[in-house]
Amino acid sequence: MIALWRERLRIPLMLSPALAVILVLFMSGLVLGMMQSVGYLPIIGRYEVTLDAYRKIFSREDFYRSLSLTVWIGFASTVLSTILAIICAMTLRQTFRGKRWVTFIFQLNIPIPHIVGAIGILFLFSQSGFLARLAYVAHIINEPSDFPALIYDRYAIGIILEYLWKTTCFTGVIVLAVLQSIGEDYEDLARTLGASRWQSFRYVVLPLIMPGILSSSILVFAFTFGAFEIPYLLGQRYPSALPVLAFRNYTDVDLNARPDAMAMSVFIAVVITVLIFIYMKITRTYLRE
Amino acid sequence: MTQVNLLQLSKAYSSADTYAVHNLTLEIASGQITALLGPSGCGKTTTLKMIAGLLRPTQGDITFDGQSVLGIPAERRGAVMVFQNYLLFPYMSVGENVGFGLKMRGVDQQTIRRKVAEILDLVKLSGFEDRRPKQLSGGQQQRVALARALIVEPKVLLLDEPLSNLDAHLRDEMRELILNIQRQLRITTIFVTHDQEEAVVLADKIALMFDGELQQFDRPNAFYKRPISVRAARFFGGVNFVDGVKRGERVETPLGIFHVNRQEIPDGPVVITIRPENLKLGEEGENAIQGRIRSHVYLGTHARFKVEAGQWHLEVVAEASSVEQFHDGEILSLKFPRENIWLVPTEK
Repeated sequence: MIALWRERLRIPLMLSPALAVILVLFMSGLVLGMMQSVGYLPIIGRYEVTLDAYRKIFSREDFYRSLSLTVWIGFASTVLSTILAIICAMTLRQTFRGKRWVTFIFQLNIPIPHIVGAIGILFLFSQSGFLARLAYVAHIINEPSDFPALIYDRYAIGIILEYLWKTTCFTGVIVLAVLQSIGEDYEDLARTLGASRWQSFRYVVLPLIMPGILSSSILVFAFTFGAFEIPYLLGQRYPSALPVLAFRNYTDVDLNARPDAMAMSVFIAVVITVLIFIYMKITRTYLRE
Repeated sequence: MTQVNLLQLSKAYSSADTYAVHNLTLEIASGQITALLGPSGCGKTTTLKMIAGLLRPTQGDITFDGQSVLGIPAERRGAVMVFQNYLLFPYMSVGENVGFGLKMRGVDQQTIRRKVAEILDLVKLSGFEDRRPKQLSGGQQQRVALARALIVEPKVLLLDEPLSNLDAHLRDEMRELILNIQRQLRITTIFVTHDQEEAVVLADKIALMFDGELQQFDRPNAFYKRPISVRAARFFGGVNFVDGVKRGERVETPLGIFHVNRQEIPDGPVVITIRPENLKLGEEGENAIQGRIRSHVYLGTHARFKVEAGQWHLEVVAEASSVEQFHDGEILSLKFPRENIWLVPTEK
């Protein structure tokens, strides 16, 4: 009996240090945030539990503007990075001279922090950046300020560019791994059956790599939906991305704005959690098949 | 029906002097089944892929009915390949898998459905259209793969190890099916195998390959009766080899002088080969030598004896009843019937 209990407790005990960090740091933060989102804020004498903050944010125009912008950033970054990743992975799968080096360089920015990418984007694409100066020196534009506004712009192009830089290789590595595991026999077979190169990609390769594409796309979308630092550094002031709006509400001098900030954060967390469940469902189905 | 010719075909990888296939010339008659046989890495699958148009030869030519097909891409060449592991598209139904080639050619859905039903009937899978590949057994998957290839009416059917993934019972079933379909449709068929038994039961002719080069191209029985080399004989189960020197119709060996029928091999050093079933245990007369039985195995329908003669160890297959007649340790005569002796060059 004791041996049975020891066996049952062995794995939870071994995981306990990691679980403690997750429970104490993340779960407690989440619980605290949820409590504040329902108005429980003893520091300013609010003890009642209410859904007012949720009602309020869902009636705020700036919330919907921020939500639209965030969805746009997530959608555009995910779709574009996925398309680029597929092209890169299909190219890297070929045999060519220097392939090892090119593959290494392709994966190189995975460990580089987003903040470095943000600085790079600022340096390259801002109206006082490298490309603007280059265009000015080449007499393509009269003043550096004539360079199109790609940073702090309404379409969040700078933010999307940074996410493309970072997530293309992430998705590309996943797609490349899936492609390598599939091999080229399916395409060879399709071609002998009469499929052109495009048809064999459209009807054979794409469906085979779709589970990998879907799962990595969901992760990219979930990340871009909840990320704060890049929209904060490269985004315009209004409307801002949802996490930035939540942060600004959180740091508002009026502590009564804090439940709104927490309600927005909980909303973001719920969306991401749903996306993670979809990701897990797809991954499990894929592995089972 | 299409005649396929491979003309001094070579495929080099990475460095120019590493050949996967070297100087391969074959004439594959239309409507016949030809096996490319050889051990792993001998270049047989590379040859198949070159015929299919999936690999470009470094040198040489491939012709279908006398016309070079090197400039024709795989999708328009008319050589369809069936892979060893079937490669059914897992996200398609059986019907969609089988109709894939027609869909790629822009054939209308109604015609595809009709032809799919016909071809599934041919491979004895009528009514399986809506099943998923994972719902099928290995044998059924193989038949779907075959149907998918046949539906596009290929000029040449290429099979990569068609029976190797199947168990013994399904192998027989599949072999019958392939032979029946081939007799009905008369499609020129080339298949790759490393299994000499598979090659013998399926093929009209066998191309035996070693190290990217053709060793022998002949009818199956020739590999048993007239192997071209010690290596070819060994690949087909030959185990009895005795070195000697040929002078006319005599071969001088350390075991004695053997009289042989006239053979084309020039006088000089040769190797005598004889199949175990052709050696006659306990028989006297021309070409008989003395040997000692070292061991034997009873195999129900026959018995296999190991006989020591000088420095050579010979194997003899005899009738099952011979285990009562001959005993281990016994010294007795062993006859090499003249008509069963075959001479091959000494190995370099």
